[in-house]
Amino acid sequence: MDQSSEPLFFTALQWETVAAAAARIIPTDHDPGATEAGVVGFIDRYLSGIDYVYANPWGSGFLRLEGRQAEAWSQRIERQQRRYQDGLRALDELSASVFGSDFRTLGPEQQDAILVELSGRPKPEPVVLDGDVGAADLTQSTEGVVLSQPVTDEELDFFSTLVLHTRMGFYGDVAYGGNRDQVGWRTIGFPGPASLADTHGRYSTMDYMEEVDYSQRTASHQG
Amino acid sequence: MKRRPEIAEVLIIGAGASGATAAKVLTEAGVNVVALERGPWRRPDEFSGDEIKYINRTFLWEDQLLKPRTKREHSGEEAVVTRFSPTPQTVGGGTTHWNAQFPRPTVDDLRVRSVYGEVDGMTLADWPVTYEELEPYFTKIEWEFGASGKGGINRYEGPRSADYPCPPAPLTGYGKAFYKGCDELGLNAFPFPMAMVTTPHKGRTPQVHSGFWQEYGEPTTAKSTTLTSFIPEALATGRFELRPDCYVRELTIDGRGRVDGAIYLDAEGHEIEQRAQAVILCCGGIETTRLLLLSRSDRFPDGLANSSGRVGRNAMFHEYVFAIGLFDQETQSPLRGWSGSYTGAATYEFYKTDMSRGHILGGIAAGSTLGHPINWNFPGRPAWGQAAKDADRDFFNHTMKIGVPIQDVPQESNVVDLDPTVVDAWGLPVARITARPHVNDLAQAKWTVDRCAEVLQAAGAAKVMPVYMDRFNGNCSHEMGMARMGDDPSTSVVDRWCRAHDVDNLYVFDGSVFPTSLGANPTLTLMANAWRCAEHILDEKRKG
Repeated sequence: MDQSSEPLFFTALQWETVAAAAARIIPTDHDPGATEAGVVGFIDRYLSGIDYVYANPWGSGFLRLEGRQAEAWSQRIERQQRRYQDGLRALDELSASVFGSDFRTLGPEQQDAILVELSGRPKPEPVVLDGDVGAADLTQSTEGVVLSQPVTDEELDFFSTLVLHTRMGFYGDVAYGGNRDQVGWRTIGFPGPASLADTHGRYSTMDYMEEVDYSQRTASHQG
Repeated sequence: MKRRPEIAEVLIIGAGASGATAAKVLTEAGVNVVALERGPWRRPDEFSGDEIKYINRTFLWEDQLLKPRTKREHSGEEAVVTRFSPTPQTVGGGTTHWNAQFPRPTVDDLRVRSVYGEVDGMTLADWPVTYEELEPYFTKIEWEFGASGKGGINRYEGPRSADYPCPPAPLTGYGKAFYKGCDELGLNAFPFPMAMVTTPHKGRTPQVHSGFWQEYGEPTTAKSTTLTSFIPEALATGRFELRPDCYVRELTIDGRGRVDGAIYLDAEGHEIEQRAQAVILCCGGIETTRLLLLSRSDRFPDGLANSSGRVGRNAMFHEYVFAIGLFDQETQSPLRGWSGSYTGAATYEFYKTDMSRGHILGGIAAGSTLGHPINWNFPGRPAWGQAAKDADRDFFNHTMKIGVPIQDVPQESNVVDLDPTVVDAWGLPVARITARPHVNDLAQAKWTVDRCAEVLQAAGAAKVMPVYMDRFNGNCSHEMGMARMGDDPSTSVVDRWCRAHDVDNLYVFDGSVFPTSLGANPTLTLMANAWRCAEHILDEKRKG
């Protein structure tokens, strides 16, 4: 278990199980993975209640939800808690029936085999640049959602929830407790803001943009 | 007991793009205005570049457990709760979350019936107002609201009386790739006009491009939102009272069938009756329709201003379709979708009808980002494991999309009405959307996405994935047509001044008055139209 944080929601065993699963979803290689980013702590905090839903604009704490909004989020978090309780139980049952042991004690290949089983889909294959133009097969995307709309965790099964939450814990702002030392951002080359407060007019991407001489571009311009 | 505050000279319902425009024009001319906004009044410094908050937990959008909507394809089906056309209900409305794309429509966009005649299954109509009549208002809005761009490069642009107040933003990697693709194919491309300030303008500071843009609130004054422009300008007159967190549930009429006010619940749940000499609805197409249909009386049993039965019909949504390109990091320079603020380039080459394409109409195509680290995505992106991590590492900075909001055609059978069973947290029936694409919408989407794919290939993409349209998902937050503007009271809801045919002191200024959906993003046009119609209210007042 991570020594720096006490679980707010998970039991010690659940914490280890989620940490183990997250470490297979975003594995550690020559770059940090879910383990180094502190993903399990991020998920644990989110599931603990409605105190960690929306970071405040400065990243120094969280908004206090009130009234109808608080009721709606309580309902939502309770659903997530049940999803995790049931999902983690199923994960261990599956592990026990296939390999005779709890998920967290399995080796990486065995854990992957269990996650494949849980997901109901083959293990994701590397992207190949084949030069093709091919119609998009939307069923191949785990999230299975309209691609131009954001992904919420509400309508997902347990496995897809775990995948999304792992991404959020790896790539979300550090204010939420994951992406520790911005390791997620550094892994993929995103020079994000130092803090949410920095997004109030200081953080800029102008260095990655260039001026254009529009005198070369006219209404009659072709090629 | 109901509280009854002093009667308002003009009551505006909804303080978004159109409502704030009307408030500014009216109050600056000496009219006293009260505005009721259903949502909160957030200040810009309450916003931040927080992907989890704004994208995954949809901070600016309505909570689906509190304010659901339902959707179905056919009138015989039961509609299901769906997040359809999420548009912030907040002071500033859609201009808080939008990506601020601000193009003008073409001259022919406003006269499609004259150009194409009667087409099967479509209720095409000319606008009762021409491009020439709207042009001065396009310019006014571009200058007063703050916009960047450069006129004279888009070959298909209509006449303009002035260039943009601010120059285009510097170019992003994905903008550069878009130009490259268009240049290869001989397509005319131009800087996408944006409602942002890139140089100091009206006391606002230039864009620094945090890149946290679409669906994020903007903490600075760079993004043009009515929250930071027209709302404070109206307040500065001393004649504008803006009440947030006020949920209007019904409009009331007097004995002569004129609207005399609105009943609303304030933040504490008190019921208040606000009387008014005139009412302007600016709630966005879906919620304006809902409010009219909720306002039933003996005189208007089918909803206020609905003697024609046209309220809610001819609904259009600009479904956004696109192709995605993956670029090889070994041979192509990075696109860095997180840079800029959705700024890039656009083309109208797929916009104007060419009958050889097999469909009519089209829309503005532009290159853009796939989003931030958590939510950037493409069809078939590996979901987990080493392949997923490799995909994030190899392609996060090397993907882009080129897309278009489909210029969907008006159809009598695409309808917004009240759901018979689902209610919101206040116990009121929610909006139900019944809509399916016309065959022309599907053909236009397919053809245009294929052209977008070609531009990506020409720009150097190593793999291209078209994402076609199969239904309306309401993914564009553009709501048009439900209270059609027209000269004929039997086929339209409001007249050329956006006054209800049935009720002479009731107006609708939001996108629901659009007779057709345009091939351009609607906000510039709806704000220009709101300004024009607000001036007409002033003219009428002067005449007495």
